[in-house]
Amino acid sequence: MSFPTSTVAWSQSPLQPPAFTAVPARTTLARPPPAPAEPTPPAKPQKVEWPPAVRDYVGRAFEEQNAIKGVSREDMTKKLKDVIGFYAERSQLDSLDWANYPLPQEILRDERAAARAQLGLDALMTSPNGIANMHVDTPHSKKRKSQDGDQLPLRAAEASIPPWRRTNLESRITYSGGPTEKRQKKNTIGDTFSKSDQADLDKRRQRFKNGKANQNPTPPWSSPRRDNDSEMSTAPCVGTNQNLEKSYFRLTAPPNPETVRPQHVLEKTLSLLTKKWREEKKYGYICNQFKSLRQDLTVQHIKNAFTVKVYEIHARIALETGDLGEYNQCQTQLKALYSQKLGGNPAEFTAYRILYFVYTCNKTDMNDLLAELTAADKTLPWIKHALDVRSSLALGNYHKFFKLYLAAENMGSYLMDMFIERERLHALANISRAYMTVALRFLTDELSFDNDDACREFLETHGAQHIIEEKADEQGRRTVRVKVKEAAGIFEGQRQAAFSKVDIKGQI
Amino acid sequence: MALQEALEPFLAAYASHNPMPVARFLDPIPPPQDPGRLYDFWRASSEDKILADVRYALQNGMPNRTSFDEVQGWVDIIACYWRAVDRILKAEQAQNQSKLSEKQMVDVYDAWKDLTSNFIKYISNGNLPHWTVFTLYFTANNLRKFAIKADEQLAKAKPVAFSAGFQDDIVDTNAKNEKLEEAARVFNRIYALCVGDRNPDMMSSRKWGVYCIANLQFKTYFKLKAISLSKNVVKSIDAQSDLPPFELYPASHRVTYKYYVGVLSFLQEDYAKAEAALMEAWNTCHAQSVRNKELILTYLVPCRLITQHNIPSAQLLNEYPHVRRLFGDLVSSIRKGDLSGFDKALAAGEPEFVRRRVFLTLERSRDIALRNLLRKVYLAEGYEDMKAGQTEKDRVRKSRIPISHFAAAFRMGTAGAGSGQAIDDDEVECLLANMIYKGLMKGYISRDHGIVVVNKKGAFPGTGV
Repeated sequence: MSFPTSTVAWSQSPLQPPAFTAVPARTTLARPPPAPAEPTPPAKPQKVEWPPAVRDYVGRAFEEQNAIKGVSREDMTKKLKDVIGFYAERSQLDSLDWANYPLPQEILRDERAAARAQLGLDALMTSPNGIANMHVDTPHSKKRKSQDGDQLPLRAAEASIPPWRRTNLESRITYSGGPTEKRQKKNTIGDTFSKSDQADLDKRRQRFKNGKANQNPTPPWSSPRRDNDSEMSTAPCVGTNQNLEKSYFRLTAPPNPETVRPQHVLEKTLSLLTKKWREEKKYGYICNQFKSLRQDLTVQHIKNAFTVKVYEIHARIALETGDLGEYNQCQTQLKALYSQKLGGNPAEFTAYRILYFVYTCNKTDMNDLLAELTAADKTLPWIKHALDVRSSLALGNYHKFFKLYLAAENMGSYLMDMFIERERLHALANISRAYMTVALRFLTDELSFDNDDACREFLETHGAQHIIEEKADEQGRRTVRVKVKEAAGIFEGQRQAAFSKVDIKGQI
Repeated sequence: MALQEALEPFLAAYASHNPMPVARFLDPIPPPQDPGRLYDFWRASSEDKILADVRYALQNGMPNRTSFDEVQGWVDIIACYWRAVDRILKAEQAQNQSKLSEKQMVDVYDAWKDLTSNFIKYISNGNLPHWTVFTLYFTANNLRKFAIKADEQLAKAKPVAFSAGFQDDIVDTNAKNEKLEEAARVFNRIYALCVGDRNPDMMSSRKWGVYCIANLQFKTYFKLKAISLSKNVVKSIDAQSDLPPFELYPASHRVTYKYYVGVLSFLQEDYAKAEAALMEAWNTCHAQSVRNKELILTYLVPCRLITQHNIPSAQLLNEYPHVRRLFGDLVSSIRKGDLSGFDKALAAGEPEFVRRRVFLTLERSRDIALRNLLRKVYLAEGYEDMKAGQTEKDRVRKSRIPISHFAAAFRMGTAGAGSGQAIDDDEVECLLANMIYKGLMKGYISRDHGIVVVNKKGAFPGTGV
């Protein structure tokens, strides 16, 4: 459906301009839905007066003696429409030397020959469907044969100029630069279509949208999907964007440097974000901004102390809000970054990892983590605290555990908050087997509740209201006693339930 | 030496219909008595002539009744082997000049993978006799070793990879054991090859290879730290209804398989199942293979500590010095009820315990040490005063024991105030409560009176008091 092979070649070129600029070209490929019987160029819906040269050309194309074996009339007609349509669209019908322009069947023949030579052994290429899948995803390209003609030369055109191109044809084409030159122009990054072209194409795209309602308008970021990742440029890019804020978008194509912020801008971004977090605490916004910040670092291959800082801050904020998914992503990255000795606070985050594995009850990972720790690591205060938390729970020493809970530093208390309720139930299950009755104050102290009321509320919300009784002691002071033994079954059941469901979303 | 001559050991090995000699021919390491074997074999041909040379030699050398396809299979396999030898010798030479590059180790791995894949191909086509699946096992095991070496070299070459493509994050989280992971997939194919054999004649079924390939997979997954994948293998084998009876498999396959099943259950904290599997491995294990017995004990000892509160006998430990070195101090501390001794032994052994993944289990045996200590306190409390009509025999032990007595015992055992191990009375209560909760001690705590009331009978179940 596309005539000059180079048009398609643009979208195949590895050095393609950023994703969104390619889209108009792509949409152009879609055939206009009302396929005209006559080779009416879609660009000129009004009545057209075909130049005699063109009419002559069409006539010759249908002449019996010009037919080429192997090229069906159907294919030829299609090609013919494309050829004329292509030039009509650009208002170049008059400027082309139609007398010497190769006939559509000749073009097809040469394209196919070139394609065969090029693709040779490539098994995929023997199946037209394979090709269709690779290059075409418009819903219109259902005709197998038309694809044969159109799609095969796509690659071939890049490597070898078809014979008809080798005539002095190009010099006779009057618009500035031949298709070849134009393609090269497209290839330079940042250089997009000329203004008028762009406007034209936009208009066309608009028309097609109106004409075919059910046609999915392809979002600009997902259009040039490729099968092969290695084709994509993964070289670091250098950003030029100066905006401090930027929304996160998942990349599917090489980033445009204009949308990427260089490190000195990102540093300002980071201080802005930390300030905003302190003042506004809007996590949705902050998380989105941090993700785009991380993305900008990645595409520019910035891997230094600043990178570590960004991930650390995001991890802390994620912990504060309980976003374990993001936290885990950051933690994974930090682990690798720390291994490169880029600074930061490895001890703090190692401590978090230990606490996190306590939370998830992940024995395998905990074992691996313990294997990594050196004797020196174990003496660092935060790590030691986390290790003590671990061992106190392993040994059922809830007394020690709740003391450590109060002593947690940094974001450790946020992590411990995630399993404090579970451990309180565990301790209660324990106490309810070992004691008959205890004072409420004893539970408040042992389980580190803020006050008696909080403790009482905890018992009540866990279905143990009936075991609390108030009475006066010998001196007439009122005390609250808890007949724990009577609720042993309740606590044990809830303990088991609490340990059986550990949410480990986002864990890698 | 002509290639024909070099292939004579193969023809002799093949004629024996025994997988081992054939595997020995396809060994990537020369035997000690003939260190130049690989080099001689390599010199007998060249890259461009090897296929024709082997074909010529085998067409003349193999028994006449051998099918054309089978000859073709061996031609390809031996040619692959020759190429692998070529890469091995080149890598060795580079290493001797200490300029071994990761590329060369990868070349060796790739060549060996090629050999393995060809082997699989011809077996699954049915061109090779069924017993060659055991030869394939040796080839695959070597593939595992080459994969590990290649990964080591690759890791040295580029310690941390940049993320490729359009990742949002900076560091590539892809695994570092690329080649071994690839090898694991090859082993999966071999496993499928064995398990999927539909030959009704059990005598010539590839199903006999199921367990030894499963063991190879376990080894690989443990190395990859993807232990959970092993569970799938166990599940798959459990789901097979038409495997030959387990006890008919070679003992070596059975012991290793049961060992891994035991370790897997151990790691999933299913200690009862672990104990059963490890006991079976222990009982089947060859009496002389001390190393294997010690490996089994490494998991069986912690397992029995949890399931039966059993500690290994001094005699057993003396028989296996490695096990004694590993657990000796811990075991004697448990026996004595020496908490600080236990903590010290556990801390001293931690790196080794963690490496073997028994640390978190051993840690739990502190309860047994604690129980033993409390039992001593209980015994030291003595008896209630004799009542009328009571004899020395049925005197009753004191059942109301002040918490302070237990606290004193704790403080004697630990280093005391200021050491960071000081223990306050509430913590003592907490530990006592734990004992009761876990069923190691029978009774209850009366906080108001500061005493523990223990059961008159069976205060410490399973210890005779």
